[in-house]
Amino acid sequence: MRRRDFIKLNSFISGGWVMAQLIPIKGLSAATADCFQPNPLIKLCSDGKIIVYVIKQEMGQGVQTSLPMIIAEELEADLKDIVVEAMPFDADKGGQYQTGGSTSVMRQWMPLRKAGATAREMLIAAAAKEWNIGVENCVASKSKIINTTNNREIAYKDLINKAAGLPIPKDPQLKNYKDFKVIGKPGQKKTNIKDIVSGKMKYGIDFKLPGMLYAAVVRCPVIGGKVKSFDAASVSSVDGIVKIFELKEMGEGVQNRPGVAIVATNRWGAFKAQQRLKVEWSYSDEAAKVNSANYAATQKERLLKSPDIIYNEKGDVVKDQNTKDASWISATYQLPFYAHATMEPVNCIAQFKEGKFELWGGFQNPGKAASAGSAFFGLKSKDVFINLMPMGGGFGRRLSVDYCCEAMQVAKNVDQPVQLLFSRADDLKFDVYRPASTHQLAAKLDVNKMPVQWQHDHITSPVGDSILGNKGNVGWLSIEAGGGAYGDVYYDIKGFRSTVSRVEPPVALGWWRAVNFTYNNVVIESFVDELAKKAGKDGLTYRLDLLKNLQPVKIKDGSLYDPRRMEAVLKLAAEKIDWTKKRAAGRGLGIACCFYNHAKAYTAHAFEVSVDKSKKVTIHRAIVATDVGTIIDPDGFANQVEGGFVWGLSAVMKSEITIDKGAVQQSSFFDFEVSRMPDVPKLEIHIIQSNEDPGGAGETSVPSVIPGIMNAIAAATGIRVRELPLKKSGYSF
Amino acid sequence: MPSYQLNVNGKAASVDVPADMPLLWALRDVLDLTGTKYGCGVGSCGSCTVLIDGRAIKSCQYTAAAAVGKKITTIEGLSEDATHPIQQAWIELNVPQCGYCQAGQIMTTAALLKTTPNPTDAQIDAAMEGVVCRCGTYARIRKAIHKAAELSKK
Repeated sequence: MRRRDFIKLNSFISGGWVMAQLIPIKGLSAATADCFQPNPLIKLCSDGKIIVYVIKQEMGQGVQTSLPMIIAEELEADLKDIVVEAMPFDADKGGQYQTGGSTSVMRQWMPLRKAGATAREMLIAAAAKEWNIGVENCVASKSKIINTTNNREIAYKDLINKAAGLPIPKDPQLKNYKDFKVIGKPGQKKTNIKDIVSGKMKYGIDFKLPGMLYAAVVRCPVIGGKVKSFDAASVSSVDGIVKIFELKEMGEGVQNRPGVAIVATNRWGAFKAQQRLKVEWSYSDEAAKVNSANYAATQKERLLKSPDIIYNEKGDVVKDQNTKDASWISATYQLPFYAHATMEPVNCIAQFKEGKFELWGGFQNPGKAASAGSAFFGLKSKDVFINLMPMGGGFGRRLSVDYCCEAMQVAKNVDQPVQLLFSRADDLKFDVYRPASTHQLAAKLDVNKMPVQWQHDHITSPVGDSILGNKGNVGWLSIEAGGGAYGDVYYDIKGFRSTVSRVEPPVALGWWRAVNFTYNNVVIESFVDELAKKAGKDGLTYRLDLLKNLQPVKIKDGSLYDPRRMEAVLKLAAEKIDWTKKRAAGRGLGIACCFYNHAKAYTAHAFEVSVDKSKKVTIHRAIVATDVGTIIDPDGFANQVEGGFVWGLSAVMKSEITIDKGAVQQSSFFDFEVSRMPDVPKLEIHIIQSNEDPGGAGETSVPSVIPGIMNAIAAATGIRVRELPLKKSGYSF
Repeated sequence: MPSYQLNVNGKAASVDVPADMPLLWALRDVLDLTGTKYGCGVGSCGSCTVLIDGRAIKSCQYTAAAAVGKKITTIEGLSEDATHPIQQAWIELNVPQCGYCQAGQIMTTAALLKTTPNPTDAQIDAAMEGVVCRCGTYARIRKAIHKAAELSKK
C-alpha cells in the first residue's frame, strides 16, 4: 500500500495526528482484511488480528516484546491477538529508527501509551454509538468492549468500520498504574521465541533473493593505507567468481577501509577467494609501526601535557604532577580496545536498480545508512529503501554503517542483488572498537581520608572521530567524558576537575554497549575503593559516607541525579550479599555502583570471590540491585541484566583487541576471548520496585560489573590491578 | 562439480558442491536450511553445530563430502513445531535474547542429553563451553538443560 492509499483508508490522519514521534508511513503491507488504523503504530483488522508496528530494531533486547506490551496495556488488547511487525522504513524519518543507548522503552513509553489509549477510546466511542449508551457504560477488556448495563460484549474486530469514522481524541486518558494488567507482569515470553528455537527466525544473513550474489572484501590491514595492486589470477581456480574490483574508502561517517571486493555465485567461493587473493598495499612506515604497547605509551605520555578540554570543574583543583603533598593519592588505569563480536557478523544485501538502492539486513541506524550511503553516490536518502530485519546482536556495532555502505558500493558494480558478509576475522579486524584509554585519577584527602578534591585526566581516541566525522575535532572529546567523570556529582566531593585529551586513533572507533561508562565508571569505582582502603573503611561504608550529604542535583547533561536512589541500590546489594558477615580467609567482597544518566538507571553489583595461587578467580556469589523505574517486561528485563553481567565478565577478564605492525591481531573467538558457560555463575537479581518512568536495561546493567569484580579481587588478594583485561596480569576464571 | 547424496533430517538431499565446501554452506546456501548459523568459520564459536549420527559437530569444520552416508540433523529437524523437549524447555525458561547462537546451543544440548540424560552443572559447562553466546544467556541455558532433561523423561 502506498502512502496515498493509506491516507484514503484513514482520511482523518492527515489533519488529526498530533504526536510528533509517530509517523505516517508508506510501504505498509497490503491489507487482506478490512482494517482500522487509528495511528501509524496500530492496525486492527476484521480477522481479529491487531498489528503493532515497532519502530525500534530488534537485536535481542526485546523491543518486539516490551513495546507491544505497552500498547496492549493501554489498548486493553488480548496479547494473543497482537502481531508484531517491524515498522517499514521511511527515509524521511530515518532518525526515529535508530536503536541504541538503552533508550527504546524510555523514549517510546509515552507515545506508545498514547497510541494505545487513542485506539481504545475510539473503540469505546464506537461501541457506545452502536448500543446507543454513554461511553461511561463501556469498558474495554481483552480486545472487546463490554456494556456494563447488560454485560453484552462486542469484539474490537466488529467495531472497525464504525471506529474508523470517528474523530481522534486529542488527549486520551491514560490508565492508572494500579490498573496495569500487562506492564510489569511476569511470564511474558519473547514474541519471536518459537521461531528462534525452531531455526525459523530469519536474520539478515539468512535472507536470499533470486539470483543473489555473494561478496567478500579483502580490506587494507593498516589504517590510512591504499590498494597498490591485486592479482585476480590468484583466485582463478575458485569456482563461481563473478567479479573482482577495488572498493573505495567512503569517507568520514562511514569509516570503511579501502580494499578489493570479490563477488561470487556462492558464499563459500567468496570466502575462499578472500583467503587467497593476492593484494599489495601501500601505507606509511609510521602507520605500520603502530602497536598496542606504543599506543598505550603515547597515551601515558599525553598525561604530562596540558589537556585538550576541561569537561567539568568546580573549585580550583589542579593536581601538580610532581607534588610531594602526601595528602594527594593518585593512580593510573589503562583499558584496552574491545570488539563487539555480534554472533551474527555484520552483513547487508544491496540491490541497485533504476537509480535507487534497496537494502536488506539488520541495522541499528538505518537512517544513517540511507543518508551516508546515498550521499556517496550523489543520491538522496529517499533513494534508499531499507528492509529491516532482526539482528543477531547489536551492542552498538550496527550503529556504524560501514558494512551497508560497502554493500551499496558493491551492488553498484553488479546487476544482481548482492549480499556482503564480514567473515569473523573481518568482523574482529575491521570493527569500530570501544576506545582504549588511559586515566589518571587523583584525590586530595582530608584528615578523615575523605576526598575533598578530585581530578580525573582521561586520554583517549574519541568515538566521535569515527562516527561523527570531522576527525580530530576536540569537541568530540566531551562525549567521552560522561559515565561518571563529573567527579562531584555522584559522590560528594567539594572540588573537582575532569579533563579529556585526544591521541590519534590507530583504528576506527564506535559505540560499544554502555560506551563511556565502561571506562569512566570503571576507573572511578575502582579508585574510590582504593581511597576506602586508605581510609581503613570498607567499600560500602565509604561510598555511603560519600553520598549521605548529597542532595538530588541536575548534572551537566541536564539529567537529574538522585543520591537516595544510589544509596538504595548499594544498600540492597550489600544486604543481599551479607556484606557485614565475616568471611573465611581468602574470600573478598567487592561492590560498585553506577548512575546511568541518559537511561535513568541506578545499579549496584556486589561480588564474593576467592583467588587461588594460580590467580584463578572463583565468583562465589554475584548480586545486582537495580532501580530503573517502571519495568515493562520483568523477565525480558532480567534477561538484559543477566546479559549485561556476562558482557562485563568478558570485558574485565578476557577480551582485548591488540594491534601489531598497524594491524589488529585477533581473528576469531580463539584469540578474541569472550565469556563462555563455565565462566558464568548465577546472578541474583534484586529490583527496587518503582513507579518512576522507565529507564533502560541493556547498557545500564554492564558498567558496575567490571569494577565490582576488580574490587572483590583486590579485597581477596590485597593487590589492586589497574590494567584490563585481568588476564594480562595472569588472572583467569 | 561433484554431487553428494546427503541425509538431512531424515530426507535424502543431493548437493552439487566443491569437495572442500563445509557442510555449513551446503546446508544454508544449497538446501536453504538457514537455522544453522555461521559464526566464525573456524570452529571457535559453535553457532553452526549440527548432529551427525547423533554427535554434536561444528558444521563449518566438516565437509559436505564427509557427511555422505551419515545422518545429519539440523535445528529444523528437531521437531516440526518447536515441541521437542529441549525447545519446550528453552521456551519455558525464555532463554534467547537475539537468538542467533541458540540453534548451536540446542543441538549441542541434544547430543549431551543423548549420552548424559541427567547432566550435572559441571557436565553441562564442559559440554557447552564451545558454544559462544554474546548476549549472555548461559545461566538460562544451564537451567533449561536441566528442565529439558526432566521433560525428556515424561
